[in-house]
Amino acid sequence: MGYFIELVMSGLAIGAIYGLVAMSFAVIYKATGIVNFSQGELGMLTAYTSWSIATTIGAGGIVTVLIAVVAGAIIGMLCERLIMRPMLGEPVLSVVLVTIGLAVVLRSIVTIVWGAAPHKFEVAGVDTVLDIAGMGMRVSQLGVIALLMVALAGFWWFLKYSRFGVAMRAVAADENVARLMGISTARVQSVAWACASALAGLAGVFFAVIYGLSPTIYELGLKAFPATVLGGFDSVLGSGVSGLVIGVLENLVGGYLPSTLKEVAGFFLILVVLMVRPFGLFGEKRIERV
Amino acid sequence: MKSGFFKQRYAELVVLTDSRVVMAWTAVLFVALLLAPLVLGPFLVAHVTVILFTLVGALGLTVLTGFTGLISLGHVGFLMLGAYAYAIGVTRLGLPPEVALLASAVVPAFFGLIVGVPSLRLHGLYLAITTLAFSHIVSAALLAGGKFTGAGRGITITRPRLLGIDLSSDRAFYWFCLAMFVLAVLVTLNLRRSYVGRALIAIRDNDIAARTMGVNLVRYKLLAFLISAAITGVAGAMMAMYISIVSVESFPFLLSIEALAIIIVGGLGSVLGAVFGTIFILSMPEVFSALTSGMGGRLAELMTTSAHEIKSVLYGLAIIAFLRFDPRGLRGIWHDIRHAWVYWPLRY
Repeated sequence: MGYFIELVMSGLAIGAIYGLVAMSFAVIYKATGIVNFSQGELGMLTAYTSWSIATTIGAGGIVTVLIAVVAGAIIGMLCERLIMRPMLGEPVLSVVLVTIGLAVVLRSIVTIVWGAAPHKFEVAGVDTVLDIAGMGMRVSQLGVIALLMVALAGFWWFLKYSRFGVAMRAVAADENVARLMGISTARVQSVAWACASALAGLAGVFFAVIYGLSPTIYELGLKAFPATVLGGFDSVLGSGVSGLVIGVLENLVGGYLPSTLKEVAGFFLILVVLMVRPFGLFGEKRIERV
Repeated sequence: MKSGFFKQRYAELVVLTDSRVVMAWTAVLFVALLLAPLVLGPFLVAHVTVILFTLVGALGLTVLTGFTGLISLGHVGFLMLGAYAYAIGVTRLGLPPEVALLASAVVPAFFGLIVGVPSLRLHGLYLAITTLAFSHIVSAALLAGGKFTGAGRGITITRPRLLGIDLSSDRAFYWFCLAMFVLAVLVTLNLRRSYVGRALIAIRDNDIAARTMGVNLVRYKLLAFLISAAITGVAGAMMAMYISIVSVESFPFLLSIEALAIIIVGGLGSVLGAVFGTIFILSMPEVFSALTSGMGGRLAELMTTSAHEIKSVLYGLAIIAFLRFDPRGLRGIWHDIRHAWVYWPLRY
């Protein structure tokens, strides 16, 4: 039983990271109707940038989180302004493929600038092991779970009450009508990219702190995919929660079954879910009119 | 008097080309390709060989993504299945190479049918993700396959004797690849102009309208997956013969992206586009490194230390630039050049 709970707890920690990335996928999908395949790479770039800044100024835990948010938002805005903005109004397929191109470019740039060798992301005090009901959890692991909760609550409020959140939902519902109502799609897209990139950046930083910084962090994007699909691409909160589900599932599969299955457990789950509900668990069914 | 576009029979409308000039140039190109290994050095022959078998794979993706409009992010899965089907057939099951080559088309085609089933319920990106999941599951399954699939170590194979012809020399292998390439081009071109091809394109343009016009979506979507997977699988087998060791590492996820890049840069949905795209994407790093080594200094140094990354940046940028500035791809540029050539000094 102890082993089981241990698996669940560490699954929750990695699941919270997936959840953050999955939320970032959903934010962009909700605001612009595209899937951003460079999400993992944005997270990786943010993690490396934050690492460079944090180690130079010797930042503590909270400051590192702040650096990650700011760096992520700036990187996201830059990518949106330079690469995605000119693609506004193009067919969805083209835009999605541009994000794939962006992913390839970002990944290589990180390797060229920072090298392929892994680094240790050291932040004072985060490796302290706390004892929770007989279970050892590191501060960083608890931190990322707490952060996911904060992000979920924050986005719930943001989408429901804030002016921008409502604008974002309006653009997602019908871009043309939203534009007629005076909403600037470009600005909504820009904010969505900043938010998404900050979320992915946070996930990247926490992943780097817990597991080390290496150019394979971008795989976080692929790993979080099942969570986004499970939650439904247009459900920000659903994606966040599904991250936890996928994380725990992966850890349980890894703990009890052969380890190669761990890598693909999430993918198996989404295959099943998509066959039953083609729009994800919490996603809205789109009605097609001819 | 007959005008230039006067057609009396339906067959004349769907004929591959009615222009003698195009036929003549195609013949010249074919003869040139046939004689190329006698003239070119070993490095260039190897390069053209790589282009030829990549093209077969790109044509496979063209059938699915270009013609039918079903985005696949997991085509490397079919490539892998083809390569492994061939390698396992030859080494583990002791099949003759001809049969193993057939298996490299049949096995992926079978799995193509399985992946194709969700395509009936899923649309656009959700389907793309399903194919992505499929390719990850295939590579995990192959890694977990133990002795039979060689797991992490892979399977070593030798160049076969096909139909009594020894392919161990690079020249013979080049001609084999050329033959397979011509076959693949003929298959896709003829598919494109047949009823099946027109049905696939109707599905791409508007699947609901296609259905109303009597196109059986289930049958043709599955058929697209089947044909695409079979062609890609054969490309996988050719790749396996070329690199002579089949392991999961030689089929990274990046290959799926590279395949998409090829057909986008070339021009989506056309065979000529796939040809242009493959030549462009595969030759770009070589040309770039030749240019930078000529310039010397810091850039050449960077080129040698991180050649792989530079290559990725280049084709990432190529995808972005083409989608941004000319979504028609290289085929569109070719079209413009040809028109300018024919109608000069007039604009139209």
